[in-house]
Amino acid sequence: MKSKQSEQADMVLVKRATGIRSLDIATRGGLPAHGATLIIGEPGCGKTILGLQIFAGALARGEGGVFMSFEESSTQILRNTASFSWGERLHDTSRCQVIDAHGMKGTEFSGAFDIEGLLAMLESCAGSVDGTWIMLDGIDQLLRHQPDQNRAIEQVAQMNDWCEQKGYTLLLTGKHSGDRLTRPEHLAGIEFMLPTIFVLSSQLVDGRLHRRFRIAKYRGTQHDPDELAVLIDNDGIHLPYADSLGEEVPANSERLGTGIGRLDDVLGGGLYRGSTTLISGQPGTSKTTIAAAFAREACQRGERALFVSFDELASRIVRNVASVGIDLQTHIDSDNLALHTHTSWHSLAEHHFMALQQRIDEFKPDCLVIDPASAMLKASSAQSPQIALERLLERTRREGITTLLTSLSSNDDMNDESTLASVSTLADTWIVLRYQIRGGERNRSLSVVKSRGTAHSNQVRELVLSSGGIDLADVYQYGTEVLMGTARAEKESEVEAARQRENRERDQHHRILRRQIDKTQLEISQQQTELERLRAELEDESAFHGSSDQESARHNENIRQRREPEHKISREKQGTQHRREGDQ
Amino acid sequence: MNSEGNSTIPLSQRLILFVTGDAPRTGRARSNLSSALAQTGLDGWPREIDLLKDPSQAIAFGMFATPALLRADQTLDRAVLYGDLSDERALRQFLDEL
Repeated sequence: MKSKQSEQADMVLVKRATGIRSLDIATRGGLPAHGATLIIGEPGCGKTILGLQIFAGALARGEGGVFMSFEESSTQILRNTASFSWGERLHDTSRCQVIDAHGMKGTEFSGAFDIEGLLAMLESCAGSVDGTWIMLDGIDQLLRHQPDQNRAIEQVAQMNDWCEQKGYTLLLTGKHSGDRLTRPEHLAGIEFMLPTIFVLSSQLVDGRLHRRFRIAKYRGTQHDPDELAVLIDNDGIHLPYADSLGEEVPANSERLGTGIGRLDDVLGGGLYRGSTTLISGQPGTSKTTIAAAFAREACQRGERALFVSFDELASRIVRNVASVGIDLQTHIDSDNLALHTHTSWHSLAEHHFMALQQRIDEFKPDCLVIDPASAMLKASSAQSPQIALERLLERTRREGITTLLTSLSSNDDMNDESTLASVSTLADTWIVLRYQIRGGERNRSLSVVKSRGTAHSNQVRELVLSSGGIDLADVYQYGTEVLMGTARAEKESEVEAARQRENRERDQHHRILRRQIDKTQLEISQQQTELERLRAELEDESAFHGSSDQESARHNENIRQRREPEHKISREKQGTQHRREGDQ
Repeated sequence: MNSEGNSTIPLSQRLILFVTGDAPRTGRARSNLSSALAQTGLDGWPREIDLLKDPSQAIAFGMFATPALLRADQTLDRAVLYGDLSDERALRQFLDEL
């Protein structure tokens, strides 16, 4: 009689990790520890590789198992896996037994058969390697000979029950014809018998094979039900989109310099740490140069910058930006900067996504540049390639990696400011670079379309490159036009000349006025002297005439007295005195 | 077509019947084989290997389903007939090539 606790424990599905991180995430922990999982798919989808990789993972953890193939010889199996990084593990005969059952192909069948002998043999082999994993690759090759299809399905269920009872994790693979059914050919109804079914499929898109993975059924547990892209490389199978997202870092208010002082001013002090910036523009508008300035600035702060270039060789980028005073080589040498080139057409979008993830995992950058991120959209993908970029940005935002993307705008459409329309909505800051053509020359302009959380300038500015570096210049507003480059310089010279001419004319006028004032003041001074002289002369003259008149009067009186008798003079004197008294 | 040379070798050395205990299909296979041998005039009985008792023989002989009848005569090409041997025509043809 089982205890209540034991019964409850039996009710919980125990899982066994596969060792494939993304698969363990999608399955929320791995495969049923005690029971069967069916992997079905078209030929070439990676069923056997998936099973063998799980198997190799188990061996790496010190677990043992039995691999049995009904399709290929054990030699072929081991040869096929030799190119994988884990292939060598399958040669460990102390933990792994590979059984060659492909000899059953082409043999005759006469009536129904049992699998008890098979199970007895598997148990014996598992015991010899102390194994808990069993994989039957191409089980449909055996069961399709069962005259009664229902009997074949029952035998699959029998295997599942046997594994539950014995504590084995069983992997079964089988082919289907690509009709999207979740069962192998000849085994209709098997989907109802097994608790766990994975479906692998493939599709040609633009001449490239896209493999997909889906958990069609996983009874009794949560799992990722979405169809996920499958990638196969030297490490085996990956489900890049199954990765779980990490913890979200808090929003940071710290401003980071872009490497262009005046651009920082335009952005209100720089870019927020952990933000995403999109720089879009036509070819040759200096997107890469600005991105390089941003990366160099990060390195100069002592941070780590990862610069991923699509389609442009790293050495050429280093050389080209050095011509405008941006030295990347020093930071590459000091291991603060990792500069990698990816070829956009060479891989699927999912490959690029996974490669970028691995770069981030390995280098752990503070700042990330993808130049141009729009190149990823050229990559083939069964889904929209934008998903790869959006998933990547989701990660960088969560992890606080300050990210700068560039985007190549179309040559044909001047109004097409970004081919990354959806990314531009995710970006915190969007800077648009353009050409202004006037007077037979192209000049670069920069404007900030948006910058979240920033009172940024709305002014268009000229982007000026020189051997001394990269800078922004104020544009010249001339009526309704914006002048840049030579036109701006000419107009500025013209205005400066006019200003200087006006200054000169004003100075000259001032000098004339000052001379006239001096002259007038001199004249006033002279006139004043003359005035004083005249006054003095007048006074002298008046004084002279006064004394002269008195003398003359006395003289005349003397003469008259001498000429007149005495009594007449006395009367005249009395008469004069009487008139004076009468007047009084 | 039976060869004169082989006919002298006991059937137990020329045929192996792989079985799993007394499972129903094992029983049917024995019955069907017995009838066929009688009809073809072959004497003797094949060697029987019970995979439940000796599962290592499954790997040794590459037999992964039971019942299975193996032509063990090394002078002839290896041949296996899987199943409960209920297909009389297939079984007769298999035995005729002994």
